[in-house]
Amino acid sequence: MTDPRVTGALRYSQDVAMEGMLHARLLRSPVAHARVVGVDASAVPEGIIVLLPQDVRDLGGYGPQIKDQEVFPQERVRYAGDVVAALAAETADEAEEAVGLINVDYEELPAVFDEVEAASEGAILVHETTNISRNDAAYFGIRPQQGTNICHLFRLRHGDVEAGFGEADAVVEETYHTAGATHVPMEPHAAVARWEWDRLEVVTGTQTPFNMRTDLAGLFGIDEEKVRIISPPMGGSFGAKTFVRTEAIAACLARKAKRPVKIVLERDEMWMTLNRHPSTVRVKLGARSDGTLVANETECWANTGAYADCGPGVAQKMGFAAPGPYRIANVRVDSRTVYTNLPPNGAFRGYGQMQSTWARERTMDLLADKVGMDPLELRMKNLLKDGDKYCTGETMHDVHFERLLQDAADAVAWSESWKNKGLCVMLKGMQTPSRAAIAVEVEDGGTYTVRCATTEMGQGAKMAMRMMAAELLDVGVEKVSCPDPDTDVVPYDTRTTSSRSTHMMGRALKVAVADLKENGERGYGEVVDEGGLDPDTGQGVASSHWHQGTAAAEVEVDEETGRFRVMKLHAPIYAGRVINRPAAELQNEGSMIMGLGTALFESNEFAEGQITNANLSDYNVPAMDDMPATLSHELVEREGGEVQGLGETALPPVPPAIGNALYSRGIHVTELPISAESVLDAVDARDGRGDAWAKAGSEPVSTDGRNDSPGERVFASGTAPEPTTPVNGSDGLSDQGRLASVRFLLASPSALLLLGTLGMGLLAIALYRLLHRRGEAEKKAPLRS
Amino acid sequence: MKVRLNVNGQAMEVQARADEMLLDVLRGELDLTSVRYTCGIGVCGACTALVDGEPISMCILLAPLAEGKEITTVEGLGGDHPVQRAFVEAEAFQCGYCTPGMILTAKSLLEENPEPTEENIRAYMGGNLCRCGCYPKIEYAVNLAASASKAAAPIKGGA
Repeated sequence: MTDPRVTGALRYSQDVAMEGMLHARLLRSPVAHARVVGVDASAVPEGIIVLLPQDVRDLGGYGPQIKDQEVFPQERVRYAGDVVAALAAETADEAEEAVGLINVDYEELPAVFDEVEAASEGAILVHETTNISRNDAAYFGIRPQQGTNICHLFRLRHGDVEAGFGEADAVVEETYHTAGATHVPMEPHAAVARWEWDRLEVVTGTQTPFNMRTDLAGLFGIDEEKVRIISPPMGGSFGAKTFVRTEAIAACLARKAKRPVKIVLERDEMWMTLNRHPSTVRVKLGARSDGTLVANETECWANTGAYADCGPGVAQKMGFAAPGPYRIANVRVDSRTVYTNLPPNGAFRGYGQMQSTWARERTMDLLADKVGMDPLELRMKNLLKDGDKYCTGETMHDVHFERLLQDAADAVAWSESWKNKGLCVMLKGMQTPSRAAIAVEVEDGGTYTVRCATTEMGQGAKMAMRMMAAELLDVGVEKVSCPDPDTDVVPYDTRTTSSRSTHMMGRALKVAVADLKENGERGYGEVVDEGGLDPDTGQGVASSHWHQGTAAAEVEVDEETGRFRVMKLHAPIYAGRVINRPAAELQNEGSMIMGLGTALFESNEFAEGQITNANLSDYNVPAMDDMPATLSHELVEREGGEVQGLGETALPPVPPAIGNALYSRGIHVTELPISAESVLDAVDARDGRGDAWAKAGSEPVSTDGRNDSPGERVFASGTAPEPTTPVNGSDGLSDQGRLASVRFLLASPSALLLLGTLGMGLLAIALYRLLHRRGEAEKKAPLRS
Repeated sequence: MKVRLNVNGQAMEVQARADEMLLDVLRGELDLTSVRYTCGIGVCGACTALVDGEPISMCILLAPLAEGKEITTVEGLGGDHPVQRAFVEAEAFQCGYCTPGMILTAKSLLEENPEPTEENIRAYMGGNLCRCGCYPKIEYAVNLAASASKAAAPIKGGA
């Protein structure tokens, strides 16, 4: 059987249709913070279903960790993009037209966008109070700081950091910032909802069917059994399709229309729905002169936007793994989830780990510089080994950091020279405590059905389940099927997140198959990992098993323009035991490539809280022609090793490896993504030139890369690469390929003649953006010469 | 208005508004769901179809402009086209959402240039985005398809 992905036969949530269904469009607030004074929909023609704030006033609130969301905000909108009303019509175009007929009066309020400012005293409050959700996604101690915008404060206390810094011979401190990013699943959010009597059924691309069921049942005040969620395959998710997104609105519209209602988001709406947390992270590290780490003090501010979503969990993970895989006697971490008037930020591949890893691993290189050590040697000296205790007090097992980091270093011939090269090592926790349940049924003729809530978003979960079951049952994989999750049929499970499903479900499957062999028709298996941290001390068990990842990067830099190119990227990670090698490789390569986008160009841009680059022309994701000349990785296995989740591990190490490769030339950047401008600024700072100098346009001193070892920086002996010529930097455009799609129209005179106003407009916009973007990129070079 | 098309080898007449994009006609009227809405501005390649053999973004092609054209979607390749086989062999997809567009673009590349270099492939395929990041394996798939076509020469691609 041919794979349905190559024939186009695979049907995603976007392709789901129900008889008699209507299509919905949403009306969003154009302002970041405002009182809603009035909503007037009297101009909307009859026959179009209109859902207004007063229609949903009596419904409850929802939210996976903090109950802070309503179907439509009753009192004030809290971000530009907050949904104020919704319409459903026979066609999406009809609904779209009617959106423009609704008039909303706003009374604008002051807004706050920066996470550090929002967390400070006297900041305007995005929410007056913070109610913790009863959804099982709120699985750890959440500590809202009432009367502030901090909806969760996680603290880790280990040893005595003051004393630690007291005994340090070298102390470095730096503050970092990472931009918000968006997931850009190729398939947008798509959901269809319908009511059958008093029972709600939602077919939606979601990673969290049971969390969705809980929240929707709570919203309508009905039993969970009266809500059925079915999750078809998703065209990518990366954390975007978690918890309730458009489903509550679809359900309300369907109830009012008494017909099924489908919502498919427009591309720009994806930026107004869920993004990755922008962050500020401050790191202070102390070491003895021999490189032994003695103290780490870290503060994180995770900007969760207008609604918390799972932001508390993100800040917690950002915090507890911030110290990194090192033995450090004294650690203090404060990590905060902060409300602002930006669109909500939630789960994103890496789940907070990218942000704190960027900050720590960049600081490790600053420290190496300060104590005059090889950055590899400094890391090796302090890495956790099997049996060591982490700063949470838990004992580390199955530890492979040294091996992984050495492999990374070897891949870029570190021992010959580390000029233009950078390294990173990190650990990432898996949701703990955690439980998983699965059932296996046998039918006549020896075919088996695996029933579980694990959703398929491209990661290969279904195939992994089928392969693991086939192995346990000792049958061919074609004898095992794994249908789409349906909460009416599959055993309860938390969610397909945190790179935990293959690991947890794999173990539950063993129990289920054993049960089946004993009982005949249906086997049931469940596993539970205990643990968790005290949120006020960070002590306990952060993770029942740790994801271990490393990366090495090699760059070429044109110091005249600030442009740089990643030439080589290698990411060895610990994989335990690999179930499906090609799928595992795809997960790892995909993580690396997403990390490359994070490092080079992905950034949500806002003006007064309004997203300004909500399209795939102004917001760049990596294309094939952005790939480094060499991109390679390694899945390190161990005889008898446990199955590990591999979906995220290789993302967080990539940006710091690239940042550290720049730092090998003394180019110290603190912000992600790394723009050519920030590289130029860092070159100027290294060479002792201020910003004013650069703007005055004076003649630059030699920055040809031959003598760029500043001050006391220590470089390994060996061959330094020759200075590079200007390269097609990192602006992420794939002009040639993207122009191909309009080539046909431009080349055909008859087509041009026929081109309608709308087509011309669209083309003009697309071309203008392309050319404008290129023009901007080209403009950067002459600035310095 | 009525638009005459040849879709996947079948001559037909479809209904379209003057301002309607061909994407909506293919997905809506003809249920060809391999052609996928993503960016809406012709930069991501998920809605690629071949128009007289050229890969074009359907989200910015006005349906009336396709009058008299031959449109090929991945449904029209069957399932055993050398490029499809190469994608399966290379396991060059995760979610598979961008895959039809990738396959059609690769097919067009190999017809223009049966022995593309790494640089050729990356430049030509650069207009098709894959957020899963399957690029290394997609590149491998294109190379596999190129060697398969070479082995089967002189027969070229073809729907």
